[in-house]
Amino acid sequence: MSKFAKFLFKLCGIVLVLNVALFAVFFFDLDGKLLFNVVEPFLKNHYDNMERRDTLQTPYDMDKFPKYDYNT
Amino acid sequence: MNIKKTLKDFWYGKPHSAEEGGRRLGDIMEDKTGLYKHREWRGVPDTMYYFYNIWLYNYIHMVMDIMQMGGLVNFVKGVLRYRWVGQTYLPVMHWFDRGLQGMRGAALRGSAWHYRGMVSTTIRQFQRMFAADTRLHGGVQNDVYKHTIASNETVWGGMFYPWSDKFMYVPMEMIPYFVTCHVNSHTVLNYIDAVQSIGLPGDPCPMCQAEAGIFVLDDVPDYAPMVVTCNEACDASVSTSTLQDWFFDKPLYSLPMPMQFDDPLVKKYCMREIENCWKFIEDQTGVPFNWDQMVKKLEAQNELQRFEWEKWEVAANTNSYPINGVAQALYRIYQTQYGDWEIWHFCDKKVRKIMEKCVAKKINTFPQTRHRVIAWSCAPLYYSNWCTWAYNCWGLNVIINMDSLMFNMTMRTDTYEHALEDCAQYHMWAPMRRMAVGGMKHMFELWEYMEKFNCDMVAMYDQLQCKGVQGLHGLFEDEFRDRNVHAFWIPHALPDSRTVSRAEIRRLINDYMSTVMHEEPLDPSLLDFDDSMTW
Repeated sequence: MSKFAKFLFKLCGIVLVLNVALFAVFFFDLDGKLLFNVVEPFLKNHYDNMERRDTLQTPYDMDKFPKYDYNT
Repeated sequence: MNIKKTLKDFWYGKPHSAEEGGRRLGDIMEDKTGLYKHREWRGVPDTMYYFYNIWLYNYIHMVMDIMQMGGLVNFVKGVLRYRWVGQTYLPVMHWFDRGLQGMRGAALRGSAWHYRGMVSTTIRQFQRMFAADTRLHGGVQNDVYKHTIASNETVWGGMFYPWSDKFMYVPMEMIPYFVTCHVNSHTVLNYIDAVQSIGLPGDPCPMCQAEAGIFVLDDVPDYAPMVVTCNEACDASVSTSTLQDWFFDKPLYSLPMPMQFDDPLVKKYCMREIENCWKFIEDQTGVPFNWDQMVKKLEAQNELQRFEWEKWEVAANTNSYPINGVAQALYRIYQTQYGDWEIWHFCDKKVRKIMEKCVAKKINTFPQTRHRVIAWSCAPLYYSNWCTWAYNCWGLNVIINMDSLMFNMTMRTDTYEHALEDCAQYHMWAPMRRMAVGGMKHMFELWEYMEKFNCDMVAMYDQLQCKGVQGLHGLFEDEFRDRNVHAFWIPHALPDSRTVSRAEIRRLINDYMSTVMHEEPLDPSLLDFDDSMTW
C-alpha cells in the first residue's frame, strides 16, 4: 500500500471516529447535559458573586445634556 | 417483533399519532429539566439532516460568526462579565430543539433556517457591544464605540439606515432582554427582581421591569456615545426610559410613538419627530443624512417584505407552508424590528427554495393538522414554542400570528416626503402597538386575517400585566360567541414564567381540546409532563 493510500485510510478512520463521537454527543444530548449541570451552575455562581457598581449612586443630572429641541 | 415495522420506523421515524403506533415524544425528556434522555430519532434522513445541517452546522457557524464579528477574546470577556450572554446563549441549541421538536422533512428544514438567521443577528449585536464596550477595554472609547448608536429595542432599525454605511445601531435590550427570554427563561428573572428590589411595584408590564432591571444590575455594556429611546408600546415604558436615562447617562433623544396613530395630524407630528431624531443623530455623529444609503436599505427591506407576502400566500392557501408557528413568529418580529441585514436575505433564499419545492410537489408539510390556528395578541416569551407542542400533541397548526402581521407594508422611496411618511407609519405601528393596544379597530383585524389565512381557531394570548389588553378581554369573549369561533386563551406574563407556568398553559389547552372540542390527543405522552426547570 502506498504512503498516500495509508494516509487516506487513516484520514477516513479519523473522520469516521470523529463523526461517531460527535453523533454520540448529539444524540444523547451530552452538550445540553454539560451546559445544564456544569457550565451554567458555574457561571451563575460567578455572576452571583461578582462585584457590581451600585447604579443607584449614579447622580441623575437633569441638565447635564442639552434638550435637543429642533425646528425641522 | 415485527421486523418490517422496526425497519420502517428506523428509516422514516415512528409515526406521529398514537393510533399509528406513536412516537411518544414526552418519553424522551428527562423529568423537570427537559433535557433529553436522547434526542429524537426522526428516521435516517431527518436525523442526519438535524445532526449535520442544523446541530453541527449551527455550532460551527456560531463559532465562525464570533470570530468574524468581534473575535473570541471579546466574546470570552463578555461571557465573564455579562450574565445575559453566558447564562443564556451558550445552550442555544436547546432552543432549536424545543422549537423544532417533532418536525419532519421540509417543515424541519425551513423552520431551522429561520433560527439560523436569528442566531447570527444576535451574535452580530452582542459582539458589537463587546467590541465597543469601554468596560471590557480599560475605559477606552475605541473607534468601534464611536461608530455605534444605542437605541431602545422598539425603535425600528430603519431610523438609522441613513448612517448604516458608517455606523451600526445596537438596541440596548433586544439581546440582553428580549431574545434571552426565548432561549433561557431563567435569566430575565434576575432583572425583574432587581428592579422590584429598588422599590418599584411588581404589577406593571414585566417587559418594562426587565428592561430597567438590566440597568439596575449594571449589566448593560457601555458601547455607544448616544442613545435614541422611545415610549415603546405603552406608557409603562416611559418610566423604563427614565431609569435608562439615569443609568446610561448619555446624550439621549426620546422619539415618541403616538398612541392615536390613525389621526393624519398625529402622523404629521410623528414625521416631524423623526426628522428631529435624524437631526440629533447628525449632531452627535457629525455625519450628514445619507439619502442614497437610506433608499438602498429601504429597498432591501422591501425585498424582504415582498418575500414575506409570498410566504403568506402559500401559508394561507395551501398545506405546503414549510415554517412552523414559532419560527414564523420569532423570525418575522426580529427581522421587521431590527431592520435590513444580509443574513435575512441569505436565509430567505434558502427558505424560498424549500417552499417552492413544497408547492410544486404539493407536499403536505404538517400532515397531522386538525385545526388551522391564528395566534393573536402578544405571546409568552418563555413559551414561544408552545405551538410546536400544540401541533405535536393536538394537531393545532399555528399558521400565522399577530406579530407577523404588524408591519404589513413596503416603503416608498421615490421621494423624501413619501419615505418619511412611510417611516412614520412603520414607527407608529410599533411592536405590540398596532394590534395589541392600538384601539379596537386594529385589535379586531383578527377577523379579517382569520378569514384570509383560512383559520378555524384562535389562540388568544392574555398578557396578565398588560393593562391595555386586559380591558378588551370581555369584548373578545363576546365576539367569539357571536361569531361562533373556537378560541382558547393563553394567559401569561410575557417574560416572567413564574406567574403562569408552561405546564399551566398546556393544561388550559388540554382542557379546551378535551372538554370543548371532544378530541383525543395525537401524542398522549405530551399531555402532562414536568418541565419546570427547563431553559
